[in-house]
Amino acid sequence: MNRSMIRYVLGHVLKIEGAFLLLPCLFAAFYREKEGLYYLAVAAICLVFGYLMTHKKPKSNVFYMKEGCVATTLSWVALSFFGCLPFWFSGEIPSFTDALFETISGFTTTGASILSDVEALSHAALLWRSFTHWIGGMGVLVFLLAIIPMSGGSHINLMRAESPGPSVGKLVPKMKSSARILYAIYLGMTVLELILLLAGKMPFFDALCTSFGTAGTGGFGIKNDSIGGYSPYLQWVVTVFMILFGVNFNAYYFILFRQVKRALRMEEVRYYFIVIFASAAVIFIGLLQNAMNIADALRHSAFQVASIITTTGFSTADFDLWSQTSKTVLVFLMFIGACAGSTGGGIKVSRIVILLKTIKKELNSYLHPKSIQKINFEGKPVEHEVVRAVNVYFITFVVLFSASVFLVSLEGKDLITNFTAVAATINNIGPGLALVGPTQNFGLFHVFTKYVLMFDMLAGRLELFPLLILFHPGILREFVSRKGKRVGKK
Amino acid sequence: MFAWIHVKSAGTFFNSPVPAERGNTVKNSKSENKGLNIIIVGCGKVGAALTEQLSKEGNAITLIDKKPQKMQALEGLYDVLTITGNGASYNVQQEAGIEDADLIIAVTNSDELNLLCCTIATQVGNCAAIARVRSPEYSAEVEYLRGKLGLAMIINPELETAREAARILSLPTALEVNSFAQGKAEMAKFRIPEGCILDGMTIMNLSRKVIMARDKKANIIVCAIERDGEVYIPSGNFEMKAGDIISFVASSKNTRLFMEAIGMKSGRVKNTMIIGGGRAAYYLAICLLAAGIEVKIIENNPARCEELSVLLPKAVIINGDGTNEELLKEEGIEYAESFVPLTGIDEENILLTLYAKQVSGAKIITKINRITFKDVINSLDLGSVVYPRYITAEAIIAYVRAKKNSIASDKIETLYHMFDSRVEAIEFLVESESAVTNIAFKDLALKKQLLVSFINRRGRIIIPTGQDCIRVGDTVMIVTTHTGFHNILDILEA
Repeated sequence: MNRSMIRYVLGHVLKIEGAFLLLPCLFAAFYREKEGLYYLAVAAICLVFGYLMTHKKPKSNVFYMKEGCVATTLSWVALSFFGCLPFWFSGEIPSFTDALFETISGFTTTGASILSDVEALSHAALLWRSFTHWIGGMGVLVFLLAIIPMSGGSHINLMRAESPGPSVGKLVPKMKSSARILYAIYLGMTVLELILLLAGKMPFFDALCTSFGTAGTGGFGIKNDSIGGYSPYLQWVVTVFMILFGVNFNAYYFILFRQVKRALRMEEVRYYFIVIFASAAVIFIGLLQNAMNIADALRHSAFQVASIITTTGFSTADFDLWSQTSKTVLVFLMFIGACAGSTGGGIKVSRIVILLKTIKKELNSYLHPKSIQKINFEGKPVEHEVVRAVNVYFITFVVLFSASVFLVSLEGKDLITNFTAVAATINNIGPGLALVGPTQNFGLFHVFTKYVLMFDMLAGRLELFPLLILFHPGILREFVSRKGKRVGKK
Repeated sequence: MFAWIHVKSAGTFFNSPVPAERGNTVKNSKSENKGLNIIIVGCGKVGAALTEQLSKEGNAITLIDKKPQKMQALEGLYDVLTITGNGASYNVQQEAGIEDADLIIAVTNSDELNLLCCTIATQVGNCAAIARVRSPEYSAEVEYLRGKLGLAMIINPELETAREAARILSLPTALEVNSFAQGKAEMAKFRIPEGCILDGMTIMNLSRKVIMARDKKANIIVCAIERDGEVYIPSGNFEMKAGDIISFVASSKNTRLFMEAIGMKSGRVKNTMIIGGGRAAYYLAICLLAAGIEVKIIENNPARCEELSVLLPKAVIINGDGTNEELLKEEGIEYAESFVPLTGIDEENILLTLYAKQVSGAKIITKINRITFKDVINSLDLGSVVYPRYITAEAIIAYVRAKKNSIASDKIETLYHMFDSRVEAIEFLVESESAVTNIAFKDLALKKQLLVSFINRRGRIIIPTGQDCIRVGDTVMIVTTHTGFHNILDILEA
């Protein structure tokens, strides 16, 4: 294992975090909040650590899959650890566990909060919370690849470990250009949303935080009632942008380069929109029966479906009070998640489509046992390896999910709470149902449960395997023992 | 664009590590930003060698192959985009971005597919095209095809390999002979034997002490010396020792005179034995027969033997297993002056070489196609080794470097990698006035580890001294351990 290379990557990640931490400092200075000093201090710590770790360039930049996974996971852990320090030092979140939970929830774009009164936080804290969504949405390593000149081509292993979806395709041959294009699209769309929100007379600070939350499909609100207090226009803007950020970013690349046809042909995106329309329709009908007027019903159903399928987790209404059917649909959406290659979480539409096609193929093979059939997706036959990986992903997901529900249940809460709490964290959504519903928060859980949920959030964001590989005895051994070093002649 | 890449479990992804870069890459801001968009069709041996070198030089590379497995391996190692499909298909080419491509290189194992790829690409996009064409039927028509189809280059690795082998056989004491300046200058590489007059001599004294025929002083220049695995670009007070491998440049005539002067044989071989009757063997036989060298080819496949006997009426064609010791003895391997194993299997070639070294004093050239364990091969002391895939890759890279720099007008004529790519020999054509022209070398601030080895001025080879200078219209050969030179100006200290 090339540990010095991992150290080097981690150092760069810390430097980037240090730079990002200056943004809340800026706002603290503007609002004259003394909490800003803590952000400045932590930024300084990050920069110093980062500088020390990147000072010596690694001798060899050999970088394999395992190094990619380990570097990615450790980066996220380091990012969360340092990111939570300002909350903890400033005393705004007195418990370290809670501060860490809040930060992991931010970076993994979950949006599950342990705070009961969000509005009591300083501006710096609110901004940092939302900003972590934005950083975590596209991924900090992708950002790193976009700005740090790194030689060698094996850095796709970093992007693979961090980017969501069963496949990671570059947009253009060069890693760096791909990463830059992705961030350019990401930044452009965030700014567009910001402008549209400002046009709807949302205050600048609110608009910025909301844009960050939407772009990363995170879902931290800066108001206790999330987005519920804003005008219908603003809610619609957020709805549309949530859906847009859940689309595979390749689509935007195609549109930008005038290949609209190819964007429209993307099978995953089509299924994604079909699911959105179908579930919105079901919930819309359910809401009409609750004697809501048509405009409100349409808005709430569209907003909530968009919010849950893209795994954002904003809310305009307490959907815990809606009909059982509507709630069930929302829980389904939690698992489906957004498109691969977007900023959203969940299992991903493409995986679900491949799984369903596998079922169809299996049924066909009962009918014609000797038939040979390849699964087609996005107009191309899917390699057996990919199908296998998707199946294994799903099984692993179920195992991890069940284990987490069991561990959470030790606390003695009801099944709906346990089930949806795990579902909302492992799929990076935020609010669940019952005790963790949209008007509730995760503060009521025991410390142990919080750590289980933190693990779930990281596992969900990194798509299970990069995190799980860390616990593989082989990796642990290589990491702990000095024997991991290269044995050379000289 | 939606390439399916399966993420494999850790540890099993690759077995061979990326070789660490040995040379110090020239930091040329222009070359870093302005990589070419290159599409490579076919990820075989040559495709992989090209990918490695071209992606290191900062070009944006898209690979097309029918088999995704091959490309997966490359994608993990180098910064490239991969597309699964038939490279000659219009749709696939479009997906690979043919409109924005600067160059398409078709190196699949089918000549026809390569030509079709390039033909379609030149119609669709505005890009240069390079095709690999190996079959002898087409090779005679290469110039015609190239012109008619509008290709930038047609490359025939087997033919190039055969030419290199033929050059070595014409100077059998050398390990490697490369030609520059349309054959007017040569770079030869040989190992200094025990008791040679060069042992203990400094470079400075070379021209004084070594007297060539007709009392002329040695008009050669020593470019690089390998000792104990390290490569040096020697300065004047470098002392040569027996066992060193030295590379020198001289005009073709002087190469031989110099070798004679230092007491090494310079006559060409009289006969040669070739094992394996593939394309490379055919091309080599043509070259050697033309030079009046007797050729004996041993080939296992009777049908191929008949074909060869028709194509090469002057050669002796033996039908039999070339790896059979008895047969080799029967055919007189002990008395052969040279021995060239050209079978398709590298291991066989290496074994044959080792065997021939044991039983005969023949000059041996080994062809290695695939194997990458260069250190092991070097330690086997096989003598002359030719690598067809590097020969192909070098020709293409020379073209790419020249194209990359098409604005500044210094063209790269030839490029050779020596000593496992640790040293590059590049021939530039100087077409315009610049900071290096008309200034004596002693007044130029040249980079360290760099040598201007000859200047070709209107057909005359000049081995430069401090008083000489570069003029417009010259071709200049540079030997250096730096890599990535694009322009004659790169020789100056930044």
